[in-house]
Amino acid sequence: MSLWRKEKSIIYALHPEKIPASGARLTYTFGLGGIAVLASLITLLTGVALTFYYVPTPSDAHNSILLIQDVVSFGALMRGLHYWGAQWMVVAVTLHLARVVFTGGYRPPREFNWLIGVALLVITLVWDFTGYVLRWDDGAYWAFLVGTNLLREIPAFGETIYRAIVGDVQIGANALLRFYGWHIFGLTVAGVFGVVYHLWRLRKDGGISRPLLDENETREFISRDELFFREFILSALISAALVFLTLIFPAPIGVVANLDAGVTDVRAPWIFLWVQNLLRVIPPLWAGIIAPMFVLALIIALPFLDRRGPGRAIWFARERWKPQVILAVIALVLIVLSVVEAVR
Amino acid sequence: MNADKRGLIISAFVCVGLRPNKFCAQVLVVNKSFWLFIAGLGLLLAVLATLWNESHQPWREWIARYNSQNDVTPVQIEIRTLVPTQTGKPELCVTCHVGIEDISASHPAETFGCIVCHGGEPLALDPNRAHATMRGGRNPSVLDVATQSCGQPNCHGGYADPEQNHVDRVLKSVQATYAGGIAHVRFSFGAQKSPTALFGNRAVSDATQVLPDKALRALEMFPTNPVSGTVDAKMVACLNGGCHLWTTPAKPQMYSYRSAGCAACHYVYADDGLYRGKDATIAKSNPGHGVTHQLTTAIPFLQCNHCHNRGNYDLRTMQFDLRDDLPPLARPISEQMPPEGRRLIEYYQPIGDFTKCEIELNCVDCHTAQEAMGDGHIYGSKKEAQYIQCQTCHGTRTSKPQVATIKDANELALRQARINGHSDFLKVGDQVMATARGELLWSIKQIAPNKFVQMDKVSGKMYNVPLVQGSKCTQNGQDQTSDYCHECHKIVR
Repeated sequence: MSLWRKEKSIIYALHPEKIPASGARLTYTFGLGGIAVLASLITLLTGVALTFYYVPTPSDAHNSILLIQDVVSFGALMRGLHYWGAQWMVVAVTLHLARVVFTGGYRPPREFNWLIGVALLVITLVWDFTGYVLRWDDGAYWAFLVGTNLLREIPAFGETIYRAIVGDVQIGANALLRFYGWHIFGLTVAGVFGVVYHLWRLRKDGGISRPLLDENETREFISRDELFFREFILSALISAALVFLTLIFPAPIGVVANLDAGVTDVRAPWIFLWVQNLLRVIPPLWAGIIAPMFVLALIIALPFLDRRGPGRAIWFARERWKPQVILAVIALVLIVLSVVEAVR
Repeated sequence: MNADKRGLIISAFVCVGLRPNKFCAQVLVVNKSFWLFIAGLGLLLAVLATLWNESHQPWREWIARYNSQNDVTPVQIEIRTLVPTQTGKPELCVTCHVGIEDISASHPAETFGCIVCHGGEPLALDPNRAHATMRGGRNPSVLDVATQSCGQPNCHGGYADPEQNHVDRVLKSVQATYAGGIAHVRFSFGAQKSPTALFGNRAVSDATQVLPDKALRALEMFPTNPVSGTVDAKMVACLNGGCHLWTTPAKPQMYSYRSAGCAACHYVYADDGLYRGKDATIAKSNPGHGVTHQLTTAIPFLQCNHCHNRGNYDLRTMQFDLRDDLPPLARPISEQMPPEGRRLIEYYQPIGDFTKCEIELNCVDCHTAQEAMGDGHIYGSKKEAQYIQCQTCHGTRTSKPQVATIKDANELALRQARINGHSDFLKVGDQVMATARGELLWSIKQIAPNKFVQMDKVSGKMYNVPLVQGSKCTQNGQDQTSDYCHECHKIVR
């Protein structure tokens, strides 16, 4: 009797029998989608471990993190992997999105999967922000205050949305509990469902995008075993790298939020530094709501701004200059705004 | 592993090391053993690094260092939790600070813990994180934060009786305001028309309706950014340099090591500024630490002398000139010399005259809490704040020293005796000496009519207190400052 039957293993079943070699080339995808999935799995598993010690109440949240960080065996490792896994996830998801734009991977029939992907980006960012808030340290608390107050700037529905999200007239125990609930459950369900849907749709749409074949060209494939082998090696290397990153740069935690001391340090998580910068120069409604929504709308619209024609699955194809230029400009503006804010 | 595979792995490494070419790229792509080896190696190193990291956390190292000291009983390397009864909240500080001395008998760690005074993160073991929010850094008694630490409500502040609000009193005392020093320097240089104090280190004011004799209503804060070239600008160095309780000496050296704030007096430093306690985290070879982590009210004279008698101001250069008659560090005084002799050489300036009691007792035996820490009112100089004189204890030809009776168990004098560890010295009904202002001197007790004994607060040694009445003294009753008494009673050096 053998417990291990390769053809009956779940990993085996999750992989297609063979995939085109062009789509599996590292210099085509850089494995970014896979890295994002790996990072989210690491974040998910370590997150489960953190729930054993984290206490989502204003009086104990920060203390429980100190406990995890300094006292619990391997707690700092778990929290570090959770933190760095999440940061890598954001980076990988963003770069994956850029890769798809610059190679034209969103071309039909994959436009719908593009939309799922953008939804996953939003989930990732909110996931990241809710996690940042759970730290309940000085920087996070004030960023939380600013971030949630932005909701109130929304005309007509602002106060209602604020109450729904914060669960009170001001941030406090209710808000922390809600953010905790969303962070560990709501967003996790949405994220896992989104990833599964994204991958399933990828298979339905014919796998990773690839150029059309010339007439006398034949397609080369790599086997399921080969694909899995590559995934395994990459995962092992990235996991090891994450461990070292965690050991060298432990996950940050500031001093406990002191509500009596007044605002000392408002610092948005790095992904929203550009919003924090905008808030200094333009009204909050524009900086905190309209600008991010506009950027998001542009990103959603990218596949539909593309002139249909050749250029699918080719890096920087001239025929598809429009979406590429738009994304490049967005990226440039956001990066410049963020860097300026970061060094301020 | 067979020879082929080994060859492939070696060639892969060679390929990685050399400039990549097409052949090498092929070797790397097909060489699964190489990649498995690299991935396995990466994971193995990650696991080993994690285990190493887990077993080399700072707190483990500190306990190991504690255990490596000669005179300690080694303890288990484990996280220690202290739950002080006052707060009921766990603190992990003693994990690294294992063996640290209780701050005092009246502040046992089991009751107060560390956080209530020091602040900081009770559950952090990483030194930077744990200490990030500490009150006043190493010293929670620095005057900037003393009202939140030593002077927090129900400790040494927040009472209806101002006598118990020590921190408030200290903040107004000349030791903190430095009003006299500032006023006299400014007056000498013509920066103000009278020697009456206008400025203090910080702005202070006294809301009492009727001020006592010589007391001031308020002091302005000394300008933080005086015009350069003025005497005020020159004085900034002194104000930042450790001439008062708000600061520590800018250039601490042998004999002048001390702390700031309440600890400047109550936290005893050795002349060499070295720590002699058990806490391994406090460097034993790095001067600038108290003898042990302990507060005391039995303040020995040498603690006072870390500030006083260290040298003289030179108004011409606006410098503080350290004494040059102190025994050089390389040639310390012989250990055989009797203590009083050492004290005369090491601590008292040659220019002064001193009586026997001034070199045998400790400063705190005469200079009471109200005099040293202030009586809650603002005075313009030390001269105006001091009121204890020879006659306070010895009387004059025509009068006896004042005496008061300990009325009940809550009497301050009785509490002071207890805090000093001499609760058996005094009891209700005893008669003790009192100052002109009615402050009871708990350490001077009447044992028979006109017969007094004084207990040295630091050593516990008993002295008889001779009275002027009935002696051969012919001094008239009006002239009673120490200069007059020194004429006959100074010791000959």
